[in-house]
Amino acid sequence: MSAPQMPRVVQAYVRYVDAVNRVLGSVVMYLALVMMALLLFASVTRYIFNVPFIWIIEMSQFLMAAYYILGGGYSMQLDAHVRMDVLYERWRPKTRAFMDSITASFLVFYLVVMVYGGTSSSAYSLKYNQTNYSAWAPPMAPIKIIMTVGIVLMLLQAIAIFFRDLAKVTGREFA
Amino acid sequence: MSYETIAVLMFSTFMLLLLTGQRVFGAIGFVAAAFALALWGEGAVEMPFASTITLINWYPMLTLPMFIYMGYMLSESGIAGDLYRMFHVWTGPMRGGLAVGTILLMVAISAMNGLSVAGMAIGATIAMPELLKRGYDKVMVTGVIQGGSTLGIMIPPSVVLVLYGMIARQPVGQLWLAGVGPGLLLAALFILYILIRCHLQPHLGPPLPLEERQQITWREKFRLLSAGILPLMIIFSMTGLFVMGVTSMVESSAVGAFAATLVAGYKGRITWHVMRETLRKSLAVSAMFMWIILAALAFGAVFDGLGAVKAIEVLFLEKWGLEPWQVLVLMQLTYIVMGTFLDDTAMLIIVAPLYVPLIIQLGFNPIWYGILYTITCQIAYITPPFGYNLFLMRAMAPKEVTLIDIYKSIIPFVLIMLVGLALVIAFPEIALWLPNHVYVK
Repeated sequence: MSAPQMPRVVQAYVRYVDAVNRVLGSVVMYLALVMMALLLFASVTRYIFNVPFIWIIEMSQFLMAAYYILGGGYSMQLDAHVRMDVLYERWRPKTRAFMDSITASFLVFYLVVMVYGGTSSSAYSLKYNQTNYSAWAPPMAPIKIIMTVGIVLMLLQAIAIFFRDLAKVTGREFA
Repeated sequence: MSYETIAVLMFSTFMLLLLTGQRVFGAIGFVAAAFALALWGEGAVEMPFASTITLINWYPMLTLPMFIYMGYMLSESGIAGDLYRMFHVWTGPMRGGLAVGTILLMVAISAMNGLSVAGMAIGATIAMPELLKRGYDKVMVTGVIQGGSTLGIMIPPSVVLVLYGMIARQPVGQLWLAGVGPGLLLAALFILYILIRCHLQPHLGPPLPLEERQQITWREKFRLLSAGILPLMIIFSMTGLFVMGVTSMVESSAVGAFAATLVAGYKGRITWHVMRETLRKSLAVSAMFMWIILAALAFGAVFDGLGAVKAIEVLFLEKWGLEPWQVLVLMQLTYIVMGTFLDDTAMLIIVAPLYVPLIIQLGFNPIWYGILYTITCQIAYITPPFGYNLFLMRAMAPKEVTLIDIYKSIIPFVLIMLVGLALVIAFPEIALWLPNHVYVK
């Protein structure tokens, strides 16, 4: 006897989103090594050769923003985000899935506002060629666009997790 | 609606959402976004996103992923196991000696890492099984590991003090130096407690049996001391070079991460698999922390827009007519109470901006206050229902340790931390002597 299945479109959506975020996460995780290398390079050039590179710290900060935001979807997939589990851990898996499928709306609301804000902020930066208020003064549009894309992927992942919870609650299966 | 009502409403919605078990960052982010839109309409739609830009310009934040990566690398490297072995033979013959050795191990790990998770993981996987095998009381052992691991955020380097430094606009180097005295004081108090308790109740921490002691020769004992060399080299390359002014703070965290990788490589522990897993876990934990910070910054910005700083000042000084020291004690009490229920990182970002201006205005030293804050954070880390170390303990502890054991085990350690807090309040020099005598950028 096989349990009823989730609609094919939903299954395909969840599979694609999972795959995209997994691959992206497995790539951006190496940015930790890139940041480390940049910072080591900065300390060596500054102390030994007395050549300071003002752009290195800022570049590393941009990399870090890309790191945790592009990796956000994957971190949700790994269920790395802490929850207050006083009640949560006492519930049965089905109750948890039920609660999660309801409270997912809060998460989605927050992420939608983030995407909206990110889009309008990126558009502003593009239009006025906004640069960061620093000595290096890099343009802000590229990093803002990267972050907005990351938040969109996170939103898609939150919806994918919602579908999985919904499947658990209604007793349907993923092929 | 008055601003106070709105503020109370924000906090209660946040607490309620947390109870549903939704991810902490989602709960905070929702409250921030919803209240921003409700209060100021469409113009506030960029507010939650604006905190990503704040975070980009907080350059010391770069230390966070470095320390997380370093913590995982250290636990892979196996140097913690060697260190434990060293303390085992040197302190083991005393009553409660293995527990004392575990605290010393935690101090060493804390000096190599800025978070408490590394000490927690190492304590629960390496020290805990050994101590239980040697007949130590399980409640005692659980408490030692939880209490000891919180030293990670006090003894430099410390990520909590990095965050505090950014919020309070205080030099992080001075804050780190201020953490040395109180961190060692707490460790000494823990050790004192273990020695006295095990002296009175020897069954809680029996000394190593004579046969086992006789098997270890003096030569072996001295050979084991060499386990301390690599950790000392890591501490020097990181904190040492920073204090000497060779590296900047952010660079020092990268140097530490690199040193930990070298040590793990030297000990032959790095494979492709280990490297990938370390990077994966580092990304997951970094993203977890950063998203909480992101959401909490947005929450804090809404709070700031409500004029909460001024409101608290009026409430404490004018309405209640409190003396400065009463304000200070009240602040610590609210931190401790809120810290047990709320996420500690989020609490720091939301509440510190409200308190720090008042602290400075009342003439207290903001560096010293950062240390007081960190001790309350340590307490919050291990007190139920919400504490990072508590989560980890539940996940990592062997089956024979029940939830009740874990809750019971922290009581003496929380009391000791409160004593430590009172001592640092009464004698600010414990924290401030070192930063007043050594200057780092």
